[in-house]
Amino acid sequence: MLDTFEILTTSGVVLWSRAYVPVGANIINSLIRDVFIEERIQPQSEDSSSKPTYRKDGYTLKWTSEKDLGLIFVAVYQSLVHLTWIDKLLDNVRALFTGLYGEQLKKEHTSVVSCEKFAPYFERQMQELEGQSDASSSTAPNAKLTPPSTDNDSAEESSPKQPNLLKPQRPLYDTSADSTPVPTPDTSRPNTPGQSHLLTGRPKLGQKLSRRDKKKAAGLNSAPASSGDEAGTKRKGKGAAAKKNRVWGEFGADEEDDSVLDYSQSDLRDDASANEALEEIKPETWGRKTNKGQFVLKDLDEEMDQIIAEQNAKKQSSTASASGGLVGSSLGAIGGLFRNVVGGKTLTKEDLAKSLKGMEEHLLKKNVAREAAVRLCESVERDLMGLKTSSFTTVESTIRTSMEKALTKMLTPTSSLDLLREIQTVNASGRPYVLSIVGVNGVGKSTNLSKIAFFLLQNHHRVLVAAADTFRSGAVEQLRVHVRNLKELSKREGGEVDLFEKGYGKDAANIAADAVVHASKSNFNVVLIDTAGRRHNDQRLMSSLEKFGKLAKPDKILMVGEALVGSDSVAQARNFNASFGPGRGLDGFVISKCDTVGDMVGTLVSMVHATGIPVVFLGVGQHYADLRGLNVGNVCRLLMN
Amino acid sequence: MAWYDEDSWATAAFAPKLSTIIVVGLITFLVPIFLHYLAYRRAAASAKATKGILLIGPSGAGKTAFLTTAERKSIAQTHTSTAPLTIRATLPSPHVPASAAFRAPGDPSFERARSFNLTDTPGHGKLRRFATSKLNDTLGLCGIIFVVDAAYISEDPGLVETSEYLHDTLLALQKRAASSSKSGREAKELPVLIAANKLDLFTALPPHLAKLQLEKAISRVRRSRAKGLKNSGATLSEGDDGGADEESEWLGEWGEGEFEFTQLEEVGVTVSVAGGNLVGGEKVDVDAWWEWVAERL
Repeated sequence: MLDTFEILTTSGVVLWSRAYVPVGANIINSLIRDVFIEERIQPQSEDSSSKPTYRKDGYTLKWTSEKDLGLIFVAVYQSLVHLTWIDKLLDNVRALFTGLYGEQLKKEHTSVVSCEKFAPYFERQMQELEGQSDASSSTAPNAKLTPPSTDNDSAEESSPKQPNLLKPQRPLYDTSADSTPVPTPDTSRPNTPGQSHLLTGRPKLGQKLSRRDKKKAAGLNSAPASSGDEAGTKRKGKGAAAKKNRVWGEFGADEEDDSVLDYSQSDLRDDASANEALEEIKPETWGRKTNKGQFVLKDLDEEMDQIIAEQNAKKQSSTASASGGLVGSSLGAIGGLFRNVVGGKTLTKEDLAKSLKGMEEHLLKKNVAREAAVRLCESVERDLMGLKTSSFTTVESTIRTSMEKALTKMLTPTSSLDLLREIQTVNASGRPYVLSIVGVNGVGKSTNLSKIAFFLLQNHHRVLVAAADTFRSGAVEQLRVHVRNLKELSKREGGEVDLFEKGYGKDAANIAADAVVHASKSNFNVVLIDTAGRRHNDQRLMSSLEKFGKLAKPDKILMVGEALVGSDSVAQARNFNASFGPGRGLDGFVISKCDTVGDMVGTLVSMVHATGIPVVFLGVGQHYADLRGLNVGNVCRLLMN
Repeated sequence: MAWYDEDSWATAAFAPKLSTIIVVGLITFLVPIFLHYLAYRRAAASAKATKGILLIGPSGAGKTAFLTTAERKSIAQTHTSTAPLTIRATLPSPHVPASAAFRAPGDPSFERARSFNLTDTPGHGKLRRFATSKLNDTLGLCGIIFVVDAAYISEDPGLVETSEYLHDTLLALQKRAASSSKSGREAKELPVLIAANKLDLFTALPPHLAKLQLEKAISRVRRSRAKGLKNSGATLSEGDDGGADEESEWLGEWGEGEFEFTQLEEVGVTVSVAGGNLVGGEKVDVDAWWEWVAERL
């Protein structure tokens, strides 16, 4: 069963929600964080038949979005349940909601959308789709859902017999009742479905609740009869009354005729505001005359189908317009050329394709791996499809700014990367800070390790360098030279550095663990562990990293990647990230040899793109001091020009 | 025909002709009107730019919740924002905007003074560029509310995240003031309110403690920034523009000693702290924030 359905804006305001079982706000928050902001989970392309899913804490979330209006539609249900009709529901609700409230949503300077009346539409959709899936499940479990227009007739026919199908129609009757002179008492009751239903369900057992949620839940439990429940039962109770009105026999028809045709009386009785309301609402918009001359309210289903059909037609026409006739296309081409210069052009896939190809090539020239370049271009395309270019901007420049934005967003780290700060925090808890460095052969692991050591020594830390590369001959000696140099350099600064070595051939993980123990005994506050270089696609070599991670328990694992590497960077980053076993990954990248590539710093982008892990340091020269932090704006500028 | 001829324009201008009198009369009347119109338009444009309050702060502090409360007087459900949002808000009734303190409640300009633009920005680490771009675009901006989760900053990770964002924000404000004083204009005062939200929670720090904690944390941030590595910017682009503005890189008095919010007053940034709670608790209690907003309007 569906747990929660929410319609929210990109600015974070929930416009409409229906909760059958309360779901913690953190579920949807983590969806937004992981999918929309950090883009950890790549959404599938638009034309694939099923909507993307996201799983968290035993819930499955499906979503769709309306970019122009900045809307996100999210459906949450428990992963144990298999719901086939969620995709259809999301599509229909999106079409309905944008059709009904599109005008309101376009208004600026407000976050309020009065969509209280949306509940019956939603309920109707739910019932329809659920009913369909029930019916189809007896014949074929995965039968394709038929469009609602075909089976609506049957639903309409059956509607008078089924009271539960009638129930949601009542609020629509309310809307029309606004114009009748004497409103029935229950019409004035505001319809607040989201809040009222929040209270009916019980939270799932074992679900993590925030402090606030717990408090809220406690408050609710203490109140014996919540207003929401009351409203729910009341509505059910009144279902019978509503039903009576719905029977279009003699009584119902007479009543309607009275209320509609009696304009003169309403004029006499009502004040000016009511008159205005009457004038605004044309009878055609909310009902029609039957051939007998009786006025019949428009059915909810009809209206719903109409809206959905309208929206779908709009979508189709926008895609079809590109492939018009010969004359139309040539005229369109001239107009398109003109608009391309002046702006105000609605971007389609065809418009973007050529410029995006160029952008992709440009990125490839900057040494971005093909996979990353293609995916970046795809995300830009998703971002721009259906948008209007602003005046006096070409398609190219629009793509450029969008790409720049995408790059900035990707390279900007989520959390702070202040190494000194972290060391301080860890040391405060009484143990040394352990940093280890991994990477492919010859990328500069030992060099960058000594650069980091130099940086830490300048900040008066006591650093222990552990030589856990027990494989390559000369590795320990190399570190010994580095440590000797650093000792000389740091004498004046006041830092202290030492080497921890156990010779060759021993198990690296054990040496690392011993080094940490030794450091905490002899009062070092930072341990830097150098590891042997290994090929990232060699299972045998990579498997030892998991043991290493478990024994040494590094606070931070940095991977060194060289800026010179091409499309292999993606695989390197992925494999190293996965090699520490579940629950542990890399914490950052050090991109070495940046001074040798000029403006072709694409490796940075490929690595971050493949893993979502930030770049912590850049190696920009041969000296100990040539270590830099990342300046996102600068890198973006280098990549874009 | 030269200008000194009998029927040239110079002679005509001084001749007692009806046309000359009419033209002179028109000029005499129209020029002052025109000048007034020009001057008034400019003054009106700057006065008309609606006052704006900017909401910033780390994710989950309650920025969007405050925005919705300001707009619809009740709490709306919110989630993590991914886009900024500007709304027209009205100051709730017991509070009187400082610029209209002498006006009667029925006065239309009193009502106008009460409405302002409230801008919400996403607080997620990757999306802070929205907030920084809004900081630089200061037309009509008359205050910044930095929303803080008072319960979250009672523990270390939260305190670090919040203080770093606050440090960056204040540094941006200081740089803004420095650049505007360099170009000769007087820096517009831009007050900051640190709104300690979620005071209904048991672990929440009271406002004065939150202020102390943040000051301490900011001095720690400042210290580690001073020691940290240089940025890659200058090296990669091979232009030496780094280090040009060394002194404006540090927040407060040359970045030495302990940081206090009062150090920023000399660059026109007054920082005040007020507590409140939005969701949860007995009722929405943000009167202190509204009072602060009222003083700024």
